[in-house]
Amino acid sequence: MKIRFYPLTVGRDVHPGGRTVLWRIASVLLLLLAPVLFGGVIQREPDKDTTAIIQASYIYNIAKLVEWREPAMRKGPFVIGVLGSGNLYQELVKKYATRSIGKQPIEVRKLPETQEVDRCHILFVPEEDRALLPGIMKQANARSTLVITDFPDALSSGAVVNFITAKNTLKYEISLVNADKQNIDVGLTLKQLADRVVE
Amino acid sequence: MTMKRVFSILLCTLVLTTLAMAQADLLGKANQKYREGDLKGARILVDKAVADQALARSPEVWVLRGFIYKDMCKDATGEEADVLRDEALASLYTAVLNDSAKEYTQSSVPAYYYLAKTMYNDAAHALNDLEPVRAIALFDKYGEALRRMAPDTVLTDRDIEFGNALGTVYVKLYTQDRKQLEWYDKAVSTYKHVLALDSSNYGANYNLATLYYNRGVYNIQLITADNDIPSIQQIQEVSREFFTLALPYMLKAHRMRPDRKETILGLEGIHYSLQDEEQSRHYRHLYEELQHDDRKEKDQ
Repeated sequence: MKIRFYPLTVGRDVHPGGRTVLWRIASVLLLLLAPVLFGGVIQREPDKDTTAIIQASYIYNIAKLVEWREPAMRKGPFVIGVLGSGNLYQELVKKYATRSIGKQPIEVRKLPETQEVDRCHILFVPEEDRALLPGIMKQANARSTLVITDFPDALSSGAVVNFITAKNTLKYEISLVNADKQNIDVGLTLKQLADRVVE
Repeated sequence: MTMKRVFSILLCTLVLTTLAMAQADLLGKANQKYREGDLKGARILVDKAVADQALARSPEVWVLRGFIYKDMCKDATGEEADVLRDEALASLYTAVLNDSAKEYTQSSVPAYYYLAKTMYNDAAHALNDLEPVRAIALFDKYGEALRRMAPDTVLTDRDIEFGNALGTVYVKLYTQDRKQLEWYDKAVSTYKHVLALDSSNYGANYNLATLYYNRGVYNIQLITADNDIPSIQQIQEVSREFFTLALPYMLKAHRMRPDRKETILGLEGIHYSLQDEEQSRHYRHLYEELQHDDRKEKDQ
């Protein structure tokens, strides 16, 4: 951006361009917050999706604070499956895909939005796919899967952990009953830090 | 009258005439060098002239000095240009003060205001170059220069305009290195200063809201695999404070210009980050309606 410098001529009516330049600077709107616009529908940028960032961090911590009773689940990769919610998937890949849970390297999978899901250690089912949850829970593959959700009454549909909002922050509630059904032992820390525990 | 006395009077008259001629000669020579484009030579002579007690109150010599320094300023850069401009301004102002007959005011006043405006331009230039300290110094001098000539000068509009631009520069500097909270703090106080002058300034409301919002988002972006659950909760609480600070400013900007998409997106983002899905959805729909209307208009 170049400033106009008026020739130093005496007696002429000068209109330095200061205002224009300043307005140009000031009008550089701080579009950092603006989500990417796609076809008129808001498509939030992954790095601005605060909820996805927080959920991903919770999921990783949850993975560290539970134990799978089934021996088969303690071998091979530690699979985190994500239905829908592209930003959560991207965040998990970006920050956690190179990590391990115990000796099991994390593998993050984006799953098609159907009831037929891969066998996962953790499966995230977002609100837009809530209708799929009962069907998923009936699948043999869902045995020993810790289902995490983000919608009301999800615990009554079989989710072990459900993200909830409390005082404008994201917290979680946990069902020890559902965890037990899935052959999962919930650590004390995870229980104590939950906003609500269903026993 | 004795011969001795007559001789004294004649001698005195001769000395005074010679002196007056020498002074006029100094001014004339300075003027001639100026016209020839020998600014350095003109400067030496005019500086001698103003140092002369007999010429120190002459508006003519100060006007000439003002113009010589003003033209020298044209080819100078940096601090040298600033010094030359200051001298030019001071000379032109002195010319106006001494010009009781108003002979030179017509040429010195426009030149004075012209130079003052170049300081404003240079302040803007310094902002372009992300040099806020220099920009502030120049802008302050610009204000002082205007008030010196006209003490009743009101610069509120300029203050607002400059403040908004300065705030944007601070935000840019902060964005380059977010650990430098000094820039963040300065951006906040600059926008607040603008809002103290004009609480309904759309840009300052929007930019301050955005600054707070982005600070909250950045705080969350810093979450890594090393964060445990208590720290995630603490981070959220800190970010919540920033989102809460952002909300009233973004709301105000939105109410001022309800059709502006950036504020609608801003409110959508703030509510989303405050985990207020209902409000977030409300603004999302509002935005989509505006998009729909835009498309309809384009199709027609």
